[in-house]
Amino acid sequence: MTAITVSTAFSSGRVQLVNVRQLSLLTARLRVLWVAGVFTLVALAALARIAVLGLVEQAPRPQSMSEALLPPRGEITDRNGVPLARAFPAYALWFNPEALGDGGSALVRSPGEVAAELAKIFPDMDRTRLAARLKSGKPGYLRRRLLPEEANRVQAIGELALEIPRENDRYYPQGSMAAHVLGYVGSDGVGRVGMEAVLDKQLRDPALRGQPASLSIDVRVQGALEDELRQGMLATDAVGSAGIVLDVDSGEVLALASLPEFNPNQIDAKGASMMFNRMTNQVYELGSTFKPLTIASAIDAGVVTDLSRRYPSGAPLHIGGFLIRDSHNLGPSLNVPEALIHSSNIVTAQVADLLGAKALRQTMVDLGMNERPYIELPARGFPIWAKGEWPRLRAMTVSYGHGIAVTPLHLASAYATLVNGGIWRPATLHKLAPGQAPRGRRVFKSSTSSRMRQLLRMIAVYGTGRSANAPGFRVGGKTGSAEKPGHGGYNRSSVVATFAAVFPMDRPRYVVLVMLDEPKGTAASSYQRTAAWNAAPIVGKLVPRIGPMLGIQPDETRDIDLSDLKPLVAGDKE
Amino acid sequence: MSSIIPGPIARKPWGMLLPLTVLVCFGATVLYSAAGGSIGTYAKSHLIRFALFLVMAFIIARAPRELVKFAAFPLYVAVTVLLVLVEALGAIGGGSQRWLDLGFIVLQPSEFMKPAIVLVLARFYDTLPIAMTASWRALIPAGALLAVPAALVMLQPDLGTALAITFGAVVVMFLAGLPLRWFIGAGAAGMVIAPLAYLFVLHDYQRNRLKIFLDPESDPLGTGYHITQSKIAIGSGGMFGKGFGHGSQSHLNYLPEPHTDFVFATMAEEWGLMGGVLVLSIFFLILRWGTRVARNAPDRFSGLLASGMVATMFFYVAINLMMVMGLAPVVGIPLPFMSHGGSSMLTNMICIGTLMMVDRWSRRGGMVA
Repeated sequence: MTAITVSTAFSSGRVQLVNVRQLSLLTARLRVLWVAGVFTLVALAALARIAVLGLVEQAPRPQSMSEALLPPRGEITDRNGVPLARAFPAYALWFNPEALGDGGSALVRSPGEVAAELAKIFPDMDRTRLAARLKSGKPGYLRRRLLPEEANRVQAIGELALEIPRENDRYYPQGSMAAHVLGYVGSDGVGRVGMEAVLDKQLRDPALRGQPASLSIDVRVQGALEDELRQGMLATDAVGSAGIVLDVDSGEVLALASLPEFNPNQIDAKGASMMFNRMTNQVYELGSTFKPLTIASAIDAGVVTDLSRRYPSGAPLHIGGFLIRDSHNLGPSLNVPEALIHSSNIVTAQVADLLGAKALRQTMVDLGMNERPYIELPARGFPIWAKGEWPRLRAMTVSYGHGIAVTPLHLASAYATLVNGGIWRPATLHKLAPGQAPRGRRVFKSSTSSRMRQLLRMIAVYGTGRSANAPGFRVGGKTGSAEKPGHGGYNRSSVVATFAAVFPMDRPRYVVLVMLDEPKGTAASSYQRTAAWNAAPIVGKLVPRIGPMLGIQPDETRDIDLSDLKPLVAGDKE
Repeated sequence: MSSIIPGPIARKPWGMLLPLTVLVCFGATVLYSAAGGSIGTYAKSHLIRFALFLVMAFIIARAPRELVKFAAFPLYVAVTVLLVLVEALGAIGGGSQRWLDLGFIVLQPSEFMKPAIVLVLARFYDTLPIAMTASWRALIPAGALLAVPAALVMLQPDLGTALAITFGAVVVMFLAGLPLRWFIGAGAAGMVIAPLAYLFVLHDYQRNRLKIFLDPESDPLGTGYHITQSKIAIGSGGMFGKGFGHGSQSHLNYLPEPHTDFVFATMAEEWGLMGGVLVLSIFFLILRWGTRVARNAPDRFSGLLASGMVATMFFYVAINLMMVMGLAPVVGIPLPFMSHGGSSMLTNMICIGTLMMVDRWSRRGGMVA
């Protein structure tokens, strides 16, 4: 604009000038103005740009040191703060042929030399294959994980094409321990299978991941449980096993194992096939372990008032063409304590018949047997549960644990209800602060629960659970050996052996449930396949190991008072 | 007042010298901070160089017009010979180089070429009869005078300096009154040649810089790193800056070359928009003074000489500022009087000295039409 006004002023003022010299001077001045105008424009543009950069475009938010140190994924610890899953920044070795950026060869030295240097650092890597790989000029991983000192040595080779990218890795310092509880993190950074999947959002949230997530698990108990389960499983040549240690009052799971396990540090096809959780996902007919539930329901309903009342047991029970029998003849008649001690199907079925299908079904519903088990894990099996009103026969088979298939976890929660005063609570893998336990719902009267403690203790003292009776730990519990259903009926050769135990019985604290899937009769189990010979001994060895960890010291001088029931089973030897 | 202050001092162009001194001192402050609060690292030598070159500028300003006119061509030839020498030594030594180590001093001849090309072209158009400015005789020799050093500098390879030399020369040619259509024609030809040059003449790293300039975020950690970090530094300054000595971009080494090419970003981070406005206004004052000197020049030679010097300084400032703000590709041109570095200070003080010289001529000789 300025230039134009000036030019008109000049041209009108000196229109008469014809002197070439003058005219050229005029041109020169005009051009100086043009140049000055361009300069000014550039200066204004620069000024505007600073203003935009400084005032409009927001600077990146400074990251504080604590944020920078935040783990890329939150840690998971056990109830005492022992790390179970850690964020572990690791190094990989990546070949980037473009690194030199000059379009020429990818490496400074020959591929053979570099391969030799690498082979010196990683003796397990094949030198010729490595050289071929470097020669091919294709980018890719040469090695997925490097130790820090190895990374330094690779750096020292001095090849830009050998890049050492930092990658986030999940490290499980306890190896395969509690694998089914923890799960793993996929290569996409998303948690899978266990609590890694459940807590995925929390573990990745920058606001929350600084704090480790505490599970209810106690690694010491978990370790002992897995150790004893593995020994028991191998000794009996079982295809699998599962176990749980559950706090009866809060529902916290102190240990939960399913064998065979996988190693979350190293997920492969074999590991992936082991991810099935027998404790929470597989439903079994758990057999005789259901008998105490039936008896408790009957006592609670006032159907069994006199424990000395005897029921005939000499002959199998004929119900609508179906035969209910015991493993062997237990004598002409048994009272309720004797029926539990010797695990009599005939007597339990009679009690259930007296109780009625409706009442027994209601007790099972109250114990959560008609829905998936309550726990955070995503893998929860749905029970095989007969719909609608139960006919008489269904109630009688359910009374001794057949015609109903639930997960071992269902049973553990039911046993906690049985002994904790009669309150059912959901099992949880989160650590609960004192007083945080859910209210739960009442299934049995407190008096029923007291009576059941006595009866469960008697089974361990006088009955099939004797090998679980660790001295001083006041263990009570019930065996269960159920034949697995196969094609066209039950398969006599494959059984599921379970022992559901509680200790210490004078003031119940923990349910310990151990299950063996298809144990064989081996020398270790005296060639027997029933729970009394394989599952119960596991509990007998496990309880003395975990008791002191959980604050329960063996004490021979303390026990639950059995004096009122002892005369009823006087015929039995001690 | 005029009676107290002696005439020679009062006649000095204080309207330029005072802002210039302020700018250099401000530059030293920024360099002090960029060195992490150490005065010896950059700031001290910066101030010493300024003092030294200011004396040199005053000496240049004393030069008589006839001597300068006489020396124009010999100086040009001498600098060109130095450029050839650099190439030759580089070829012998195996590898490109820009420096000439004379034993007692390290010279960068391409720096001298910036004022030299302006001087020789001003002299050339001074000798050329004005009636011939529209003829080919006005263009061909001038073009040759420009092409030889520009090509030599491109060979080094130093795109930024080559562009600076060309820019100063083209401004002189423009102001000499060469027909406008030639410039328009050259501009059009440039539009055609630029893509070809991009593909066949430029080096890979130069091509990369242009690519990154067009899209710096495409490679924020690689070649686009400079621009991205510089923009972050300027942007995080805000209105009043983070405060002296609190620029994390420069102190934590995010910013490349915080004391040379990217000194403006270092400054803007700590002093904010206010600092930027201060620097720009001082450059405006200096360049306005230079333009005024050029417009008041007593004759064609001195007018062209002064304009060319202003253009050379302006080119430094404009390209550097646009580079650090992400408006131009990274070409490695420092900011005059702020960046740490001897050769840029030397070139710009030669420009200042020449302008003072022309100023003196016009005062003494008066307007010669």
